[in-house]
Amino acid sequence: MNKILIMSLLALIITSCGKDEVIEKGAGSIDIEFDNVAVINNIQNQLSLVTPGSTNYTYTNGIGQPFNLNLLRYYISGIKLEGPNGASFTDEIKVDVAASKGIYLIDESKLAANIITLENVPAGEYNKISFTVGVDTSGVKEGASGGVLDPATCKMFWNWNSGYIAVKIEGQSPVSNGGVGGTETLNSSSVNGIAYHVGGWRNVEGSAFVNNNKSLSFNFDTNAKVEKGLEPHVHMILDVISLFKGQNIIDFTGNHNVHKPIDGKPLADNIPNAFSFDHLHQ
Amino acid sequence: MKFKIFLLFVGAIILGCQKENTEEVLDPYVLRRPDYFPEITYPISGNQISKSGFELGKKLFNDPILSLDNSIACSNCHVKAVAFTDPQHNPSVGIFEREGSRNSPMIANMAFQPEFLWDGGITHLDFVPIFAIENEKEMAETAESVVRKLNASPIYPTLFKKTFPSLDTITAPYMLKALSQYMLLLVSDQSKYDQFLRGEANLSSEETAGLTLFKAKCASCHSGALFTNYAFLDNGLDVTHKDIGRALISARAEDTGKFKVPSLRNILLTAPYMHDGRFKTINEAIDHYRFHVKDTPNLDTRLKTNGKPGISLTDEEVENLVSFLKTLTDYKFISNPIF
Repeated sequence: MNKILIMSLLALIITSCGKDEVIEKGAGSIDIEFDNVAVINNIQNQLSLVTPGSTNYTYTNGIGQPFNLNLLRYYISGIKLEGPNGASFTDEIKVDVAASKGIYLIDESKLAANIITLENVPAGEYNKISFTVGVDTSGVKEGASGGVLDPATCKMFWNWNSGYIAVKIEGQSPVSNGGVGGTETLNSSSVNGIAYHVGGWRNVEGSAFVNNNKSLSFNFDTNAKVEKGLEPHVHMILDVISLFKGQNIIDFTGNHNVHKPIDGKPLADNIPNAFSFDHLHQ
Repeated sequence: MKFKIFLLFVGAIILGCQKENTEEVLDPYVLRRPDYFPEITYPISGNQISKSGFELGKKLFNDPILSLDNSIACSNCHVKAVAFTDPQHNPSVGIFEREGSRNSPMIANMAFQPEFLWDGGITHLDFVPIFAIENEKEMAETAESVVRKLNASPIYPTLFKKTFPSLDTITAPYMLKALSQYMLLLVSDQSKYDQFLRGEANLSSEETAGLTLFKAKCASCHSGALFTNYAFLDNGLDVTHKDIGRALISARAEDTGKFKVPSLRNILLTAPYMHDGRFKTINEAIDHYRFHVKDTPNLDTRLKTNGKPGISLTDEEVENLVSFLKTLTDYKFISNPIF
């Protein structure tokens, strides 16, 4: 009898200790940084944007055509973290008229925006990240939403075929014959303009409706430890060169004025291999 | 004791009165679906309609501040007296007298529509006004600039704050939600035909004959309580197309020249007809189906009888058909002082 009492008491203490521990450890933050780079000869170079119209070409696509970029902007949404010991965190998407939580706009011209800080991540170790490049149905079905989805300020919204652009790229290539108008950094006098506005959020068989949002997952090379007082920092990489020479070679003498879901598919299919996990530090 | 009983009586009477009142006077700022209408498609939980939100939307709808040079409002091409269509132009004319390519569609029963515009390119009502605001042939403005003008206005910040108390500065999503609140309540369900459906009115013999004809020859596309199946169809207007219609959105060759089947509610008010407003009268539009349907590659098969394009109707049948279509005019809708 006594033994049983002691055992139960012990059990009680242990479980409450366990509980206390969780509460004490609580939750912490983790930073996910998206570094936009140009990988040339296996060396990562910090991406440098040029002023519109520049004829200074630093990059080449898969078939040796030179190019440069004026603008690079993309959405990241639906981030999920997982760990080897069952730790799990989902950054819920919640969009309404005031804000769009869980959706982030990475903009190479605003470097501060490229670090996403996730708050209230349960304490634990994480070694895997998943996210979507683009804004899926949940962000479109609510209608007009605030924050980074505000159609007046995000400049990532298609009026005529309503939906969000997942990845927006504008620049120049000497082999392009121009004709790119109505974009943010290019107009009809931009002789060598290239514009890739890649979007589309639904698939309709046999039609131009293609879902160009890409859901990606990456493993870390080590565990990111999240707890109160620690803020690990994860570096993800987007290699812009790979966007133009992956599974599909993007030929600047071909369609270099992309503004429809179906036209953006070749570049969208290069997206998965253009992203990678680079490193993390505690 | 007697006094208490007296009080109870008074209470009962007051309660009784209140009950009667709520039954008779419906709150006009609540979106109601007549039970014979399709389901509401708009996700209303994200944009609860209020009197002040509706009135703000109405004010914006009628305010040329939405256009580049403050010259043209939504209501210029969506005139209430003709069920929010454009009676004068075919197609509609926008800012700087720029001629549009399409006929301004009716704004009524928007809460029940799955897709918007003649080509269905827009899937949510909130995104309809921003299309018109930023279209170069319509208002040629940017939403960003409209928002700046609204914030600088002496009246709008207060009106927005009243509707959306948590708002700090006016942004485009708030403006679009207010416009949606206004458009959502523009429900047209008070025509003679609605009264007939509800058992409150009888149709004349001509109207009844017209309804029978309509059911036999038109209702396979102009179906249901809103008189449209929302399909994109080629009704044999042209062999070559100035406007490719649905194909602009879908990029499918077989969608070339297809446009959304329009609702026929208030049809006698909404001339001119077709996506480009080419027919000035209802008889011209009906005569198209009788005599002028072209055998186009994408022609809807329902517009062919025995391999021949067109719908056969005698002159008398046309008269009955028009009598029936007149019952779809909703005078209470176009004269509603709240709208």
